[in-house]
Amino acid sequence: MMLGVLLRIEWLKAVKRRSFWVAVGAFAVFIAIPAVERIRNVHKNPNLSYALPESWPDILGAAAGLGPFFVGVLMILLVAPEFTWRTARQNVIDGLSKERFYVGKVMLLAGLISFFIAIAMLVGVGGTLFSPSEGGPGILRPTDLSYLGSLALSLLLVGSAGLMLSVLIRSSGLALGALFLYLIVEEAVGRLISQAGGGLRRSAEYLPSNILDQLGNDLAHYPEVLADVNSRRMERGLEPREFLDVEVLAIAALVYSALFLGLAFLSMCKRDL
Amino acid sequence: MHAIQTSNLTKRYGTSGAKSVLAVDRISFAVEEGQVFGFLGPNGSGKTTTIGMLVGTIKPTSGSFNLFGASDPKGLMVARARLGATLETPNFYPYMSGRDNLCVAAAVKGVGRPRIDECLELVGLSDRAKHRFKTYSLGMKQRLALAATMLNDPELIILDEPANGLDPQGIREIREVIRVLANRGKTIFLSSHLLTEVERTCSHVSIIRQGRIVACGAVAEVVGEGGAMLLRAEDPEALAGAIRAYPETTSVRRTDEGIVAALNADDVASVTRYLAGQGIYLTYLAPYRLSLEEVFIDLTQGAVDSMAEIASG
Ligand SMILES: Nc1ncnc2c1ncn2[C@@H]1O[C@H](COP(=O)(O)OP(=O)(O)OP(=O)(O)O)[C@@H](O)[C@H]1O
Ligand SMILES: [Mg+2]
Repeated sequence: MMLGVLLRIEWLKAVKRRSFWVAVGAFAVFIAIPAVERIRNVHKNPNLSYALPESWPDILGAAAGLGPFFVGVLMILLVAPEFTWRTARQNVIDGLSKERFYVGKVMLLAGLISFFIAIAMLVGVGGTLFSPSEGGPGILRPTDLSYLGSLALSLLLVGSAGLMLSVLIRSSGLALGALFLYLIVEEAVGRLISQAGGGLRRSAEYLPSNILDQLGNDLAHYPEVLADVNSRRMERGLEPREFLDVEVLAIAALVYSALFLGLAFLSMCKRDL
Repeated sequence: MHAIQTSNLTKRYGTSGAKSVLAVDRISFAVEEGQVFGFLGPNGSGKTTTIGMLVGTIKPTSGSFNLFGASDPKGLMVARARLGATLETPNFYPYMSGRDNLCVAAAVKGVGRPRIDECLELVGLSDRAKHRFKTYSLGMKQRLALAATMLNDPELIILDEPANGLDPQGIREIREVIRVLANRGKTIFLSSHLLTEVERTCSHVSIIRQGRIVACGAVAEVVGEGGAMLLRAEDPEALAGAIRAYPETTSVRRTDEGIVAALNADDVASVTRYLAGQGIYLTYLAPYRLSLEEVFIDLTQGAVDSMAEIASG
């Protein structure tokens, strides 16, 4: 069966789901607010600008803020109930194998990632049309591309965590609880570790949600901006901010996602429905 | 050809230990194409588990089965495209309409949209097709499940307790649909704990109890195994005692009409000769047809006895 067919099946299930559109709408509003704010400021103050490519960090940064959680939560809402409604079982009876059911959900994740990025682009890039600023030269710089890729990876990271939790826990309420509990626990553990200092502190940077934070932070992707920020921090006697290399972040995100997706696959194949 | 054939099929839930449940225990049976096959057993006897293994949602612990002769994973995928099945309750997306639910099922089965309306028509749901599934009554849910089962025009239809929770009218409608399908040459495998259902709709039956098959064959065969006689005499006590001691007797039961004795052989002359030898002269003797219910209760007595023990504390 072709991947397109699997994606179409998932699409049929999602379009009729109210929470899907609520999440999509909320996300669009969420990223539109800073864009609207920007454009209003530009109209008031001609020294500011809102144009491509200079505004990519703003556009992508807004999406990177809550985007991953929207995708993670949506994955849980679209996958976990299939087990309580027993529709996963019925899909398998109707001819999807367990493997194909799983691949369908991975296609759903890919679809959500593309969809969310498309919304971010539409809102952000669409917003620049309402701005009087002149941008350029060019539309997309290599650094913008790297930030865009990182946005996709951070959506993938949390989305695959959502998929894994749904398949392992098989209940949307509990899976959502587990996702948030994990984030709280990791936050606490991360803080403890970083207080310890030294090598341990380094390793805390590799925890999934720290990888996520760094991937989503524009400072990790735009060295000029980071240099600027750090020189101002120096003036105020603060420590400079440091980020892992983008390549390292990307590899870490891919490794975690592969781990989550792999665990979901094993659980899906091994357990009865 | 066999539509379904199982050989020592076994399912144990949980890893072996005190908590594990042996739900299905080395069962072997075969369903020929064109049969309406009843899979009869009390609650918890392993019917759903067995069907789950056939449709591929439950991994057998041991043993094997084949569908339309195929037993390798690839062959089973192909064979499963020729069947339609529902397990336990109807399973649909509650937020979608009946029609949209069938669209999903049709997409999964790779069936075109025109079939959807045909199937809705068949089960009489056309006028409620646009309403959400969660607003359906149980009977409508069951009928939608039947429609979904029918989408791919399957050769083999597996239904798990299709009459569950329905009123007599609903049961009659389901029975009617099954009859129509059977007349079209479909093979039907139907699980039930309702004897009358199986007796009325099925040509063949397998009786399962605590994960084991205790009887299997044509309904008439299972019902009429050996033969039963209805006997009366002046002294029913003495008659019951004597017939119980007769070597060919398998079971004896008192009814309002007289003593019903199930015998391995229905050689009337020998029975009368034997009883006369015991000084008992029959006032009445007639062949007696055990109902499936009586066979069922005989065969599943173990479970009933233990229930009675629990009830009587
Ligand atoms: N997922 C499971 N985990 C553990 N035990 C299970 C599971 N599913 C079923 N069982 C057990 O397996 C046995 C057979 O259950 P099954 O559902 O197959 O029976 P059934 O004949 O369909 O019963 P019913 O008529 O009530 O539907 C029961 O003892 C049940 O408790
Ligand atoms: Mg059952």
